[in-house]
Amino acid sequence: MSSATDTDHLIHDLARQIGTERRRAALPFELVLLLSAIFALTALVGVVLLVFGIRPDMAAYLQGTPFHFKVASTLCLACGAFILARSAGQPGRDNTLAVLALVPGLALLVLYAADVAGPILGRSIYSVPICITSILLLSLPALAIVLSALRIGAPTNPTLAGATAGLLAGALATAAYTLACQNDGGLHVALWYCTSILLVAAIGAAVGRRTLAW
Amino acid sequence: MDRLEQTWAEAMRLGRQGNTAAYERLLSEIAKRMRRLIQYRLSRLGLDIHQAEDLVQEVLIGLHTKRHTWDSNRPFLPWLHAIVRYKLTDAIRRLRREARYRCDLTLDEWSTQLQAPPEDFDRTVANVERRVSSLPAGQREVVQALAIEGASVRATAERLRTSEGAVRVMMHRALQRLALAADVGETKSNRGKI
Repeated sequence: MSSATDTDHLIHDLARQIGTERRRAALPFELVLLLSAIFALTALVGVVLLVFGIRPDMAAYLQGTPFHFKVASTLCLACGAFILARSAGQPGRDNTLAVLALVPGLALLVLYAADVAGPILGRSIYSVPICITSILLLSLPALAIVLSALRIGAPTNPTLAGATAGLLAGALATAAYTLACQNDGGLHVALWYCTSILLVAAIGAAVGRRTLAW
Repeated sequence: MDRLEQTWAEAMRLGRQGNTAAYERLLSEIAKRMRRLIQYRLSRLGLDIHQAEDLVQEVLIGLHTKRHTWDSNRPFLPWLHAIVRYKLTDAIRRLRREARYRCDLTLDEWSTQLQAPPEDFDRTVANVERRVSSLPAGQREVVQALAIEGASVRATAERLRTSEGAVRVMMHRALQRLALAADVGETKSNRGKI
């Protein structure tokens, strides 16, 4: 148990730290988060191309509507999740408003689901398990990167911040996975992409609860 | 409120530029206001208000370590409130847990506590010193500081240049070790009497 004089000493010490610290330009939290998201995405694209290889119809696929829809919606989701994660990592920001940032990505997915017909379970019985497992496995390293970026911030609700980190990592992993995704059915994509991303968000919440506390 | 926002935000900006005095004044003003708030909240929750100062320090350290997350283009008070709220809910949860733990003694246990035989004071002190000195160096320093000199966890952590968590862990281990030693000692002496 300490007294008010102890506190005065502490304050004095803390203030002295500010005076003596070298003027290093620490990167602001938002920039760190943004850079780590970009880094994670590039790394994941590399991993996807390495693991799944370049498909024979790559050129045609990259120019088709399904791919454009998939990439646009997942990247939109990632942007929304980035805004959410930034908000969760900085004290005094309004998180409820930031949730709206997810709307464009979700709207695109819904649009896609309504536009492109296809079987909901995909082309083969393995489609769904492959999709979910790939996205989950891809998102784990991304989650680690995003969580460590969030630790530089000051999340005042670690569980929520972890969940937003999971959303971001999941959306980035999904965006990378679209390069290898064999199923173009709108409902399939909308349903299983969302499921996988939500799973990652749940993992993020569970992990963040512990690792993001400070 | 607006004036407070302006003065504190300005002080924080000055602190960023390395103005130690402004920053120190800011922290003491925040501490002064928080002290009252925390004492009030602790007393309402039926907790020991003497813990208030520890909580004040905890919040101060929290906002000091996370000071870079304040964006100087954004209002200061909401940022501060969010940090204070986070640190206080955390600390109060911990205090309540500790309080519950402390009151868990049954009536029988209390009576045995109260009936402890009077011991020779000098011998007890000597015993304590002997046992403390048998601890490993790190634990000995922590026990010396916390239990014998009565310093705070924070002050000890700062002096030993480790984290508070590490100090708590070391104290815990030291206590376990001492309790073990005391148990062994007592059973030995009891056996002697029987």
